[in-house]
Amino acid sequence: MLPITNQYGLFEVRFESIGGLGANIAGKMLAEAGLKYLNLNVASFSSYGSEKTGTPIKTFVRFSDPEVPIKINSPVENPHLLVIFHENLINALPVTLGCNENTIIIVNTKKSPSEIQDMLKIPTATIGTVDAIGISLEEKVKFNGILLGAISKAIGFIKPEHIKGIFEDIIGKKYPAVLEANFRAIERGYNEVKIEKVKEKKEYSFKPFAKPSNLIGYENQIIGGLVVNPGNSFSKDLSASRNGLIPVFNSQKCTSCGMCDIVCPDLCMVFIEENGQMIMKGIDYQYCKGCLKCVQICPVKALTEGVEAEYDVKSMTVKLFTEKDTAQNHR
Amino acid sequence: MAREQVYMVESGNELAALAASQINYHVMGYFPITPSTQIAEYLDELKADGKNTVNMIPADGEHGAAGICYGASTAGGRVLNATSANGLLYAIEQLPVQSHTRFPMVLNVVTRSVSGPLDIKCDHSDIMMVLNTGWLIIFAKNPQEVYDFNIIAPKIAEHKDVRLPIIVAYDGFFTSHQKKKVSVFKNDKDVKDFVGPFKADYTSIDVNNPLSIGCYMNEPDYINNHYQLAKVMEKAKDVIKEVFDEFEKFSGRKYNLVNSYMAEDADVIIYALGSSVDTIITAIDDLRKEGKKVGVVWPSVIRPLPKDQIYETVKKAKVIVALDRQDSYNDIGGNLSTELKAVLQEKGATNKVITRVYGLGGRELYIDEAKELFDLGFKAINESVKNYDYYGVVTGNKETKLPIGLKPLTLEMQDNGIEVEMVNGKLEVKNINLRKLTKQAKRFVPGHGACIGCGIFSGLNTFMRGLKGYVVVLFHTGCGMVVSTGYPYTSHRITYVHNLFQNGAATLSGIVEMYKEKQRRGEIPKDLDITFVMVTGDGGADIGMGPIVGTANRNHNLIILEYDNEGYMNTGNQLSYSTPLGHATSTSHVGEAQKGKRFHHKDTPQIMAGTHIPYIFTGSEAFPIDLIKKAAKAQWYANNMGTVYGKILSACPLNWRSEPKLGTKIVKAATDCNFFPLYEIEQGITTLTYDPEKAKSKINFEDWLTMMGKTKHLIDPENKEILEAAKKEIERRFRRLKIMSEHPEL
Repeated sequence: MLPITNQYGLFEVRFESIGGLGANIAGKMLAEAGLKYLNLNVASFSSYGSEKTGTPIKTFVRFSDPEVPIKINSPVENPHLLVIFHENLINALPVTLGCNENTIIIVNTKKSPSEIQDMLKIPTATIGTVDAIGISLEEKVKFNGILLGAISKAIGFIKPEHIKGIFEDIIGKKYPAVLEANFRAIERGYNEVKIEKVKEKKEYSFKPFAKPSNLIGYENQIIGGLVVNPGNSFSKDLSASRNGLIPVFNSQKCTSCGMCDIVCPDLCMVFIEENGQMIMKGIDYQYCKGCLKCVQICPVKALTEGVEAEYDVKSMTVKLFTEKDTAQNHR
Repeated sequence: MAREQVYMVESGNELAALAASQINYHVMGYFPITPSTQIAEYLDELKADGKNTVNMIPADGEHGAAGICYGASTAGGRVLNATSANGLLYAIEQLPVQSHTRFPMVLNVVTRSVSGPLDIKCDHSDIMMVLNTGWLIIFAKNPQEVYDFNIIAPKIAEHKDVRLPIIVAYDGFFTSHQKKKVSVFKNDKDVKDFVGPFKADYTSIDVNNPLSIGCYMNEPDYINNHYQLAKVMEKAKDVIKEVFDEFEKFSGRKYNLVNSYMAEDADVIIYALGSSVDTIITAIDDLRKEGKKVGVVWPSVIRPLPKDQIYETVKKAKVIVALDRQDSYNDIGGNLSTELKAVLQEKGATNKVITRVYGLGGRELYIDEAKELFDLGFKAINESVKNYDYYGVVTGNKETKLPIGLKPLTLEMQDNGIEVEMVNGKLEVKNINLRKLTKQAKRFVPGHGACIGCGIFSGLNTFMRGLKGYVVVLFHTGCGMVVSTGYPYTSHRITYVHNLFQNGAATLSGIVEMYKEKQRRGEIPKDLDITFVMVTGDGGADIGMGPIVGTANRNHNLIILEYDNEGYMNTGNQLSYSTPLGHATSTSHVGEAQKGKRFHHKDTPQIMAGTHIPYIFTGSEAFPIDLIKKAAKAQWYANNMGTVYGKILSACPLNWRSEPKLGTKIVKAATDCNFFPLYEIEQGITTLTYDPEKAKSKINFEDWLTMMGKTKHLIDPENKEILEAAKKEIERRFRRLKIMSEHPEL
């Protein structure tokens, strides 16, 4: 029944996602579909801890034939199916570790499979792309139904009806209103995913799976787990946290009243002193998670809601910190 | 014959809850802590759906939860609790009380590392701390065993020859959160039949047979009480075997005190505990194909210690590689291997035992690593290898430094231009201009991992605008802490200290007093001014209320700042005492049989008013000038007169189930409907700093509720009674404040 399995008889799946996009529940649904409709052995879990949206998580699903027990409890190293829940993750994390030419890769993106191949820098694979952000904005649902629809098309053994059945089991009773929208999302994911075996590109190579490691070990970890470089989280890139929408700044309308700076949870409004006056210069999108609280509070509509894909966010970014603000504590 | 069963895909926590629901415990006393929290959540969800009638008591901390459970068990019913890590340690002094007074109950310990640097992932440092408390401990290695052991546990604990409390332990995340195909009993009645009725010998509510529980007992009696328990532990081995056998007939699944796989003829055996065993079994299957004689042995019971069975299963191996998921720092090994070595010594065995401490803080064990550990065992047959070491540590590159940071803030960068002056016994604050304040460098730095639209840093940052000069912060455990300090990063540009949320106020008291003492002694400059701010969520103001009140009573020069998002959001939205009546959380579900939280929200500012500290306030980001003004006053009072307490209402879009962009509007609505009045108590005088009616902004209570998914059900006519009760209470509290505001004597 399973199209391909590894030496332990397992068909292995890895989701690369961000907290809040529904990967964990999607993993459970995929596993349940395998058990309920195909009587497969299944397991699913996520590598996350504290309950935060906006931070990277990995979800793993394993399938095996009914007579093959699933014993492994460690993360999936060589996925048969890799699902990337948000295109922005590709540049932020080494998402393709352990993939090979047989891996099916599904990506939430407007881009084509071959464009994604160039972003992923992999020699070949079966790549499926689906604009889950666009569909989710239209259908007002989370990504998981759409991506499960796309997954169903790509792997074959789980059918859209199976996914729908599980949605009905889980949300049908409690939220019947959103069930119909999710059914449409599953169908659209199934129908709209573009799946292609991309042409081999010799300039790229597969990267083997590597266990998470850190250059800071017991020889150079400062005692007690101290962090002596204040504010060093400024170097993190959180742009993958956004769900497709951004605040767009129009300096012409702005009065620099400072209200956006009050409500912004991500502290990314850039005010600079010019001729003794504080002036709002723009947004550092490296940190903006796209909550749009600033758009709500702005009294003069200098901040408005925009679809990220329609803007060149990089060129709109005003940097909050420059090299002169930084310091390395050499203690 | 085995009873009828069905397949499900569920995690360990869900299955512990399902078993508890099927048993229908009388009482569960609990306090949320990752990764055990979901047990109470699922049990509450099942209760809301009418599947059980377990009386769920949300305690004020794990110590309180253990107390509730102890009390409930003396009253003669079935009692359940669940905890992990520091929660277990916070409760630990209650454990011997329960065991040595011999009241059975069931405690699920979902294993997690005990901080040090806060780690929420799996290891066995918590469970091994309780080996000496006189509780029975059975250890489940996968979700199926979690379910089965939760059905088996009460039957062992309540057995007439045992009468001891029991722990069902299993690995955090690996077992607690991994969803696997499991087989569960279709009919609750079958489970109830298996467990049987519990008839307590002695109870604290039997008025016809008065008795004294917990007498004062020194020598010569105390040692005899303990000897009784030691003998019962011995006896318990037989009882456990008996119940395991009975369960096999009932379920078709067989359990042993000690289990093994391919150990019979193995040259090298790994001795391990918990979820790693299955990974090791997979490695064994591979190595056996290569002709290597390897096996694994794991106990299902660690208290009592089944020493005969351990010896019998390992005795033929040339080398035993003992894997400890914690350390005793004795240069011998963790408790698992230290006890194995003791067993072998007692039996006169000469097997070589190699100890490796592995998997601390959630570090996974991979198949290739299990193979490597077997190879180590083979090497040890003929060669000398270190008896005790760590496995899986990283040396690190000495050239590698922490990620580069920002320059420390100077005094000038932290200025805010705000003027504070005492005029006729009242503080006046001048010169607050939001635009000008954007010049003040922020003490919090972006790059933190808070959820989209999280209100914590909006509120805290707005508060910080009102403080000038140097600030040291102490954060309680909670969302604000976790998202701002994931190692090796920090989002704090000023000095930050974390302590667990029972104890932040006390810890900051210590810092302040050392600072003052050093100033008195001339060891640091006398003109160095530091403002000390403790930041807590509403959770830390529950479990940490004792030290907060103690700190206020001692009147240390510091600010206690609570960001209140109406729940324990860091652990997944369990109710806090600050959660309002009727609101849905993961431990106050809405269903047929239950409609959200059962009691009113805690009025923390008024509790603090009873400590008569110089300044108390409430505020939110929706009224920034008001909040900044209060912050400036708070700084003056903290530095000149003593303790300040402030509460900031803070949006949590994830768990309020509201649109992230509406955060500011929702907290404003909370004030405009009189739920969250803005006021201050300055040297005993209460002043409303904003009156929605006077501001012509008053809205209906319902208008606030409709903005959040967690409260929408309260608008439903069938919940009218709850809505009216909530309305009545907030109006009563508001009127009281208003009258106090109008009369300085009140």
